[in-house]
Amino acid sequence: MENEFVFSSDTAALDPATDPSASMMFPESNENEPEGLTFYHMDLYDSKGRLEIFPEEPAGRGDGALGETSKEPTGPGEDYRSSDQSAYDLEKEVDELTKLYGLDEDKEIEQELLGGNIATAGILESKETPAHKEGVAAGSYGSIYNAPKSSSPVNGSQHKTDMESTEEQELPCKDSQDESQHLNNVTASDELHNHAHSEEELGSDGRQDEQSIQPNSEEEAADIYCATCKIPIRAFDKLFGDHKDHEVTQLANAVESAKEEIQKNMCKLEEQVTEMENFSSHLEEIFITVEENFGRQEQNFEMHYNEVMQTLTQRYEEKVDGLGEEKKQKLEALYGQLVSCGENLDTCKELMETIQELCKDKEKADFIKAAVPVVDRLGEFFKKDMDLELSTLPDFEDTVIDFSDVQQLIDSINTIAAPSAPVINPQAPNSATGTSVRVCWGLFSDDTVEFYQLYYKQVSDDTPSEEQAELMLKVKETYCMVTNLMPNTQYEFWVSALNTAGVSPVSERAVYVTAPSPPIIKRKESRSCENAALVCWESGNMNPVDSYTVELSKLTNGENGDIITESIVGIPNCEALIQLEPGQSYIISVRAVNMGGPSERSEPVSIHTTGTYFYLNEDTAHPLLSVLEDGLTIACSEVENLECDLAFRDNGFTRCIAILGSMIPFQGKHYWEVEVDENMEYRVGVAFENTHRHGYLGANSSSWCMRHIVTPARHKYEFLHCGTTPDIRITVPPKRIGILLDYDNWKLSFFNLDIAQHLYTFNSHFQHYVHPCFALEKPGFLRIRNGIAMPTSITLL
Amino acid sequence: CPAHFPLLRHHGPSARASPPLAPEVPNFCIKIERSQPAESMALKQISSNKCFEGFQKVFEHDSIELKCKMRFGIYLPPKAEIGKCPVLYWLSGLTCTEQNFITKSGFHQAAAEHGLIVVAPDTSPRGCNIEGEDESWDFGTGAGFYVDATEEPWKTNYRMYSYIKDELPKLIKANFPADSERMSVFGHSMGGHGALILALKNPGKYKSVSAFAPICNPVQCPWGKKAFGGYLGSDLTKWEAYDATHLVKSYPDSHLDILIDQGKDDQFLSAGQLLPDNFIAACTERKIPVVFRLEPGYDHSYFFIATFVNDHIRHHAKYLNA
Repeated sequence: MENEFVFSSDTAALDPATDPSASMMFPESNENEPEGLTFYHMDLYDSKGRLEIFPEEPAGRGDGALGETSKEPTGPGEDYRSSDQSAYDLEKEVDELTKLYGLDEDKEIEQELLGGNIATAGILESKETPAHKEGVAAGSYGSIYNAPKSSSPVNGSQHKTDMESTEEQELPCKDSQDESQHLNNVTASDELHNHAHSEEELGSDGRQDEQSIQPNSEEEAADIYCATCKIPIRAFDKLFGDHKDHEVTQLANAVESAKEEIQKNMCKLEEQVTEMENFSSHLEEIFITVEENFGRQEQNFEMHYNEVMQTLTQRYEEKVDGLGEEKKQKLEALYGQLVSCGENLDTCKELMETIQELCKDKEKADFIKAAVPVVDRLGEFFKKDMDLELSTLPDFEDTVIDFSDVQQLIDSINTIAAPSAPVINPQAPNSATGTSVRVCWGLFSDDTVEFYQLYYKQVSDDTPSEEQAELMLKVKETYCMVTNLMPNTQYEFWVSALNTAGVSPVSERAVYVTAPSPPIIKRKESRSCENAALVCWESGNMNPVDSYTVELSKLTNGENGDIITESIVGIPNCEALIQLEPGQSYIISVRAVNMGGPSERSEPVSIHTTGTYFYLNEDTAHPLLSVLEDGLTIACSEVENLECDLAFRDNGFTRCIAILGSMIPFQGKHYWEVEVDENMEYRVGVAFENTHRHGYLGANSSSWCMRHIVTPARHKYEFLHCGTTPDIRITVPPKRIGILLDYDNWKLSFFNLDIAQHLYTFNSHFQHYVHPCFALEKPGFLRIRNGIAMPTSITLL
Repeated sequence: CPAHFPLLRHHGPSARASPPLAPEVPNFCIKIERSQPAESMALKQISSNKCFEGFQKVFEHDSIELKCKMRFGIYLPPKAEIGKCPVLYWLSGLTCTEQNFITKSGFHQAAAEHGLIVVAPDTSPRGCNIEGEDESWDFGTGAGFYVDATEEPWKTNYRMYSYIKDELPKLIKANFPADSERMSVFGHSMGGHGALILALKNPGKYKSVSAFAPICNPVQCPWGKKAFGGYLGSDLTKWEAYDATHLVKSYPDSHLDILIDQGKDDQFLSAGQLLPDNFIAACTERKIPVVFRLEPGYDHSYFFIATFVNDHIRHHAKYLNA
């Protein structure tokens, strides 16, 4: 335990720069390892006893010892050692050795303890150290802090501050053992430094030596990292200690990976911060929305409740009025009854009085006489029915109040009206791709919509639309990217809105169209010359498209063709003649465009505006003539008269074993070459596209050609047009014939390229564009070279 | 010349040929050359006519080679006023003087366009007072045949080959803005023969050669036999040294593009004086590039020459201006 402290503090001594980097330390520590081993044990066993007396040290004494010991490993200490060959020092040291021997040991421990605080703490945390060591460490920890503190007033504030700073620095760093140890060394050495000056009490030379060896021997910072225990350990421990079987890595590596880990976490934290920030701003928006929604709902409630209240009030008034009317009727009926009852009573009384009057009369006749009308009246009176039944009941009818409509009203507060039909928007330009369209629609602002049902089906001219499958999508938003569609196809869209109250009527139908498929450039049929290119393509779409866009990028040295340098839009046909600069390379691609937008780019074709590039139109080839794989070599294996079989051929030559090239229809100069065998018989030249297929090249007014035939006497060269030729003798049979078509000067010239010899020039006003033509009159082959620059020898002519 | 140059050196030592200097060169050189009395005598201008922005001039000089006064026509194209131009020598046929070509062929426009100096010398020495020199039109005066005569009495004056090959170019170079590195030769009939032998005997000296109805094989034709016999004696090997068809056979394989136009209705063709087939056969065998055009309906006249002279000028310009 303790020797670790010594070791750690001495690290600083050995390396005054206080850079206990592994590389610096390793050699020494390794050398001294065996010594350290023995010392370790010795110290370990002694330590307990010493520690027991430690707290009883006088403050001053301890301080002195502390200073003295701690001074040793410092730079000045070293300096001193180096110069302390003097006898005085030796003597003094011997004296002191004898005098302070016991204490020095303690001091040593003390210093060790101080230096090792951090290491101890670190190890404590690791729980790897045996329990008794922990105890020791803990004890020393406490004591060491007490001691210097108590001593500080004696020694002055300088020391105190040093100590405090040590303490301050040590404490927060405990977690990182590596760093803290380092720090500790620094502070320890600083402190020691001070003491070296303030006190001349030096340890004996021998002892110093011993110590300097001891620490050296023990000196071994944690230099590797135990991955199992997650602590830094010394290489020594790996070899012999508890970490023997553990997985270890270089400490530096461990630090690196730990830093990386932390860095990663930092990033994660940053992400979270951003996320949280976003969320909080979202929350703010939500607050506002809640406010809005509340307002709307409140209004809604108010409206509905007012309605219900009004209705109830109305109903109540109606009911109460009805009740009052009934009461009045009842009372009137009863009153009528009461009145008639009173009348009857009066009549009875009168009759009784009359009878009593009558009875008072004693005269019999009189009596009878008077009694008769009375009896009549009585009889009449009794005849009348005495109605004593109540004409009306006092009870009111039990009316059941019908709340059903009110209930409905109340219900309507909670529910909302079904939405009205949404309005579908027409297709926005360039909003479609080949397989998708973006459909948009709107709703009436009052409507509450839970989701929409977007219906669509393909519009087809061929089949009745009913046969097309109708598809439906549920959408929350007022737009939808409908995918998996067919390119360049019309689709009909309509939409309805839904909420809990029900479904809206469907919207109007809107027709959207997907973008077309990319066109396919007919590579083979693309031709060019110095100043232009003719690019042809297939639509790539079943249905017609609106137009095509050609995009071209000029290739400059080493740059790729991603940058579109020019676009030509609104091309109605499947070909485009594009003016270009001579001697450049271009990448050209095409897009098809319809209302929905442009298609993807087609596969590009590269064009080089060097010379004139044409292709051989195999449709025009005589059946005996074949075009080899390179597309520019024509061959003929046998010459037979096939005329009889050829009557039905459309566009091919039937008599002359010939083929036409397809050249770009562009004014200016065009140049190409033909390589021939010296004894080959051929015709090369130009012809109108519609030149007679049954005739020979040069035999008519629609073709111009140079003909070579071998007669027994010589090579004969003819320059044929309309069947006539100038009489020209050429002494050197050309093997490479250059042909220059110059529309500007109305010339067609032939050259023997090998000797740059001009052979012949036709002067002719070509009324139409001509095309290169080639014919073989003997089995053999003929090679065409095009897309090449004109040789300078020819340009001069 | 160098003595005068320091004045111009302020342009700097490594400065490229300074354009302003160029126009001065011709006049300047003329002066200097004239101050050297060694070989060439002073030129006497006989006539000067502006033609297609250039000048058609006729000069007279005392020929050292021919030991008589000789005239030659020279066309200076407009381009000659600003720099050196290539020179194209025209050799006329029997009976001609320097006048025929410059007055009849109409070559000026093409020469002006292509910037060629065209020099048309006389066809023989004149006024040498040699007995019999004016006796016939196909021998003596007007019929030098572009040979150096070896026989008396012709050998002193009739040195047309050396005159055309050496003296005249030197004179032209000395007096006119001519690029002596770039020269070509063409001619008509006897001049065609002259052009062919000059080109064939001096590989590389002439950039190109062409001919109108040339006497291709004089050794075999009446004109040639008469002239060669008279000028060169009876040694046939001497004759062959001035015969194009024979010269072709020993011509080293160097590039020489020969253009020949021949009128199909040329009476001398049918008379066997020209014999182009022999020459073509020899060229075919030796693979000397020739384009021989037999032009139907054309005769031996300058009308024929005028018809195709532009083709020939262009043919030479292609090599001279390359």
